[in-house]
Amino acid sequence: MADTFTIHLKIWRQDGPDKPGKLVDYTLDNVNEHMSFLEMLDVLNEQIVAEGREEPVEFDYDCREGICGSCNLMINGRAHGPKAMTCTCQLHMRNYSDGDTIVIEPFRAKGFPVIKDLIVDRSAFDRIIEAGGYVSVKTGSAPDANSIPVDKSVADTAFDYATCIGCGACVAACPNSSASLFTGAKLAHLNRLPQGEPERKRRTVAMVEQMDKEGFGDCSNYAECEAVCPKGISISAIAEMRRNYVKAALAGDEV
Amino acid sequence: MASFLQALKSQVGRKILTGVTGVGLIIFIIFHLATNLQVFGDVHAFNEAAYALESMGWLLYILEAGLAVAFLLHAYVGISIWWRRRKARPRGYEKYQSKGGPSHVTWASKSMIFTGIVLLVFLIIHLDTFKFADPGTVILPGGGEARDLKALMLATFQQPIYAFGYTAVMILLGFHLGHGFWSAFTSLTMKHNRYSALIYAAGIVFALLMAVGFLFIPLYIYFGGGCEAALIQCQ
Amino acid sequence: MKLDSKVPSGPLEDKWSKHLKDIKLVAPNNKRNHDIIVVGTGLAGGSAAASLAELGYNVKSFCIQDSARRAHSIAAQGGINAAKNYPNDGDTIWRLFYDTIKGGDYRSRESNTYRLAQISNEIIDQAVAQGVPFAREYGGLLANRSFGGAQVSRTFYARGQTGQQLLLGAYQAMMRQVHEGNIEMHTRHEMLDLVVAGGKARGIVTRDLVSGEIRRWMADAVVLASGGYGNAFYLSTNAKNSNVTAAWRCHKRGAGFANPCYVQIHPTCIPVSGDYQSKLTLMSESLRNDGRVWVPEKKGDDRHPNDIPEEDRYYYLEEKYPAFGNLVPRDVASRNAKIVCDEGMGVGPTGRAVYLDFADAIERDGRKTISEKYGNLFEMYENITGDNPYEEPMRIFPAVHYTMGGLWVDYNLMSNIPGLFVAGEANFSDHGANRLGASALMQGLSDGYFIIPYTIGNYIADADIDEIDTGHEAFDEAAENAQQHIDKLLSVKGDKSVIDFHRELGQIMWDKVGISRSEEGLKQAIREIRALRKEFWENVRVPGEASNFNKYLEFAGRVADFLELGELMAEDALHRDESAGCHLRKEHQTEEGEALRNDEEYAYVAAWEFKGVNGELQEKLHKENLEFEFVELKQRSYK
Ligand SMILES: Cc1cc2nc3c(=O)[nH]c(=O)nc-3n(C[C@H](O)[C@H](O)[C@H](O)COP(=O)(O)OP(=O)(O)OC[C@H]3O[C@@H](n4cnc5c(N)ncnc54)[C@H](O)[C@@H]3O)c2cc1C
Ligand code: HEM
Ligand code: SF4
Ligand code: FES
Repeated sequence: MADTFTIHLKIWRQDGPDKPGKLVDYTLDNVNEHMSFLEMLDVLNEQIVAEGREEPVEFDYDCREGICGSCNLMINGRAHGPKAMTCTCQLHMRNYSDGDTIVIEPFRAKGFPVIKDLIVDRSAFDRIIEAGGYVSVKTGSAPDANSIPVDKSVADTAFDYATCIGCGACVAACPNSSASLFTGAKLAHLNRLPQGEPERKRRTVAMVEQMDKEGFGDCSNYAECEAVCPKGISISAIAEMRRNYVKAALAGDEV
Repeated sequence: MASFLQALKSQVGRKILTGVTGVGLIIFIIFHLATNLQVFGDVHAFNEAAYALESMGWLLYILEAGLAVAFLLHAYVGISIWWRRRKARPRGYEKYQSKGGPSHVTWASKSMIFTGIVLLVFLIIHLDTFKFADPGTVILPGGGEARDLKALMLATFQQPIYAFGYTAVMILLGFHLGHGFWSAFTSLTMKHNRYSALIYAAGIVFALLMAVGFLFIPLYIYFGGGCEAALIQCQ
Repeated sequence: MKLDSKVPSGPLEDKWSKHLKDIKLVAPNNKRNHDIIVVGTGLAGGSAAASLAELGYNVKSFCIQDSARRAHSIAAQGGINAAKNYPNDGDTIWRLFYDTIKGGDYRSRESNTYRLAQISNEIIDQAVAQGVPFAREYGGLLANRSFGGAQVSRTFYARGQTGQQLLLGAYQAMMRQVHEGNIEMHTRHEMLDLVVAGGKARGIVTRDLVSGEIRRWMADAVVLASGGYGNAFYLSTNAKNSNVTAAWRCHKRGAGFANPCYVQIHPTCIPVSGDYQSKLTLMSESLRNDGRVWVPEKKGDDRHPNDIPEEDRYYYLEEKYPAFGNLVPRDVASRNAKIVCDEGMGVGPTGRAVYLDFADAIERDGRKTISEKYGNLFEMYENITGDNPYEEPMRIFPAVHYTMGGLWVDYNLMSNIPGLFVAGEANFSDHGANRLGASALMQGLSDGYFIIPYTIGNYIADADIDEIDTGHEAFDEAAENAQQHIDKLLSVKGDKSVIDFHRELGQIMWDKVGISRSEEGLKQAIREIRALRKEFWENVRVPGEASNFNKYLEFAGRVADFLELGELMAEDALHRDESAGCHLRKEHQTEEGEALRNDEEYAYVAAWEFKGVNGELQEKLHKENLEFEFVELKQRSYK
């Protein structure tokens, strides 16, 4: 059995949306290298519950295998922690050693208000998709799936962008709190497919506008989003979003 | 057209504006540097170049007006982006660090607003020192009577405050361009995974060239003792 | 409780089209006057909500997660089946139907399974039109791959993220309807009770997971698409929030729970590493194409696997099943892994794992080829375990993966409570006693896009739905019921954590209601679960308050329900005195250890009716006999 070791934690605790918050210190003595980061927090919570002095730490998760996009922690100042292409739930304690101190904060942005402790409200992302992140096809009205061939490289690139899990790390890590990578990824997925082409301009303009409305910052091309994105989505998506946006604006389409 | 102007106000529009104006300014400073380097040329080369510009008449005014608009627009949008950024994260992190890898979070990119504002302040001083000053005139071999900017320049950069002040600002310009060059490409939608690293590297080289090009002159004049300097021929 | 499957008469191929022809329609402008509640935003719920809203109904949609896009369906990896026959390898609707019903060991309804195969093709069309980026060939047409239990290549896939891409398609279709104002979306809302008024499902009661508020929602029909109940085992491949609560509370309101004991156990998962373990990660089944499964022949041989010579290794699948070898179906592979570990040959620190070895494949095909095929899986494995599968064999063990059982539904996917429709993994419908790979996605989407939108119209057009409001006594009663349940959980203030109870329940379930079951073990499981449930209500500690975000409280409610469901699962497994598919009773196996069915006595769906819980769970068994008019029942063999 692997040895256990000690970890010091500084965790953001905040009772509710409008309550003040602060970092609180905890120490865990029985951390095992095979634990996932979230399992380490589970163990902490069990300890807190057993002691009964305060409420357990709230944090979001569901699949715990890096696909649902629920987990979202700022770990020592980095969204999803130190490893590239990795979600918080896929991070393992073997990346830490005895005596380390880890600061854990929620994803912070005006567009992601804190609900409690480390849990934030990411519904702004839903509203961005709602604005146009779809192909308007009614159930039952689709032609045969093979009636429109799609160049394999186009389909593959569309897939790359479609892998976004909507975690919000891009916003959290961006010095400007921009949601451009998330928005750009959905646009880059749908806009390049023949199925998405007819609505390309309308979709781009609508989603960009919604992103603005939600209070996310501008994109200054820092590319920090790409560095923290657990799916490694490229900021080329953002450039492409701009291209389509300008085309739509130049065409004088209703925006 | 109305919708196009509307579009410029959006997030994407703002970036297009910084990009377009940024590129405009880049083109301007390339010309500016080229002109400046004339001081190493023939005795009259520098003043002739300045004279040629001034003789363009209304065309020059249009160019200058365009430049002024670009500068102001660039500064305005740059400041508004910074302002919005502060509002977009009302409460900052207790601890924040970049994840590295493809990230371009560097001192240069984080300090665009700082280097930009320094450039703006510098610009005002710069215009006051050169553009709106009266350096006296000189008769060019071609017959025209030109402002003796060369003499003014030589005199100015003999003063340590100007020589070193300019040098410092030019280093900051280098940083501004270090992120700005690459950023403008991306803002203007020219971003391709394959060439991205190349453009970024080109940006750094360009920034270095510009900074060194500009700061070379004041330092050279200062340490070279102005007219006595080997490469600069004076009257 | 009356079970009427309402299967239309006539030849198998014509049943659905005939039914569609006979179905009553709701006038377009009248649909706006009908509210429909959809619980769940997975493939089933998401597709149902989107399609119903497109038709013009007022849809109210609910999910636990903070966004509809995060439903557990997102995690499905392998693919989705359809009988398109694009590869021209002779696939037909009949074959897909036949493979599914045979894979299910002849314990599903012929008519439903056939309809599933019929609809499968439309699903692919729909998904592609939505922009789902399925894998393609160089010619630009869709690619297929083969999957367990079939001899044709009929699985459509999007790398290892098929569920994600399909779910995003459905989610986006939903968001479009939210935009149009046809769907009212309520995320972070957990359904805690079903409201039955005048004998019909008329609404639900939810807890707002952020504010803790108990809220009432009324509708003319309720669609339940709340997923499976694999988390009764605590450790499973399911997402942490997957639960049985919504379905169980419907069951307590009178909905029959069918075949609760049918649980699928996936053979290739990463084994448990310690008691802090919170979930198990699936490793794609495709690994068995090149990996060889073995254990050391000597018990307790603690040499490093690379140091164990060939002659001391036991390649048990290859030896026992020379024809299929490492590629036997999921249930057979899982069962055998358990057998060797029970015999003491298991490996790893816990002794509950077997080796999946790629050394031969790497030697044969080269490391590059293997890495092209499985690179991302190898990385995932290394990330979780810290071991490098290129250098040493992987350790794998079976894990609970999917539940074939669920609420009983008729051909219209309506439960025995009028107005309560059940879709996706939450119903018992199409997979019998074992589900084939790549068919859950197919079923969820078929239910949601193409079946419920029609059958619900038929119900609404026909039913006499009274005018009531949320002040109705049935709402009062349900809301009070939900509130009391929460208050009770918080008032116990015991010493033992919710997680400990869940883990203990899981251990009982895994040991005695898991891969193989016996009369004695099941009886003991029932006793242990009862005792644990009693202890739970006396000694559980739920921290925090009801009026704030409180995950422990959410989990406590779900564990309380699992503690009841667990008993029913054991009860059902005990009563089913045969083996079928994933349900293996030690008493009933062939000489080779295969499931031995008893078609004479057990060719039926067991639907349980809740009668109360009072120390013991009281449930009444109802049987829906399965008639096989079109296929012949056979013993499965993979030798
Ligand atoms: C790791 C893994 C891989 C898989 N791979 C495949 C595969 O390759 N091919 C395949 O065909 N199948 C696969 N499956 C199975 C398949 O993914 C599921 O069976 C299917 O997605 C279930 O869909 P669903 O819509 O019924 O439920 P889910 O997707 O589980 O959705 C349930 C929904 O109900 C909501 N909900 C639950 N309870 C409540 C409540 N009380 N109140 C409000 N809302 C509630 C949830 O929030 C969620 O939105 C896989 C499963 C797993 C675990
Ligand atoms: C010679 C003068 C200048 C040049 C050559 C220049 C060049 C550039 C370039 C090329 C960019 C990148 C544009 C983009 O991201 O799309 C940029 C960005 C920026 N510039 Fe300048 N600039 C100059 C002066 C200024 C001034 C006076 C300011 C005043 C505040 C300023 C502030 C900024 C800011 C804040 C940005 C970053 C915009 C963002 O965050 O997206 N710059 N500049
Ligand atoms: S783009 Fe990447 S970081 Fe941003 S939400 Fe999507 S997956 Fe997360
Ligand atoms: S918990 Fe699902 S991605 Fe991390």
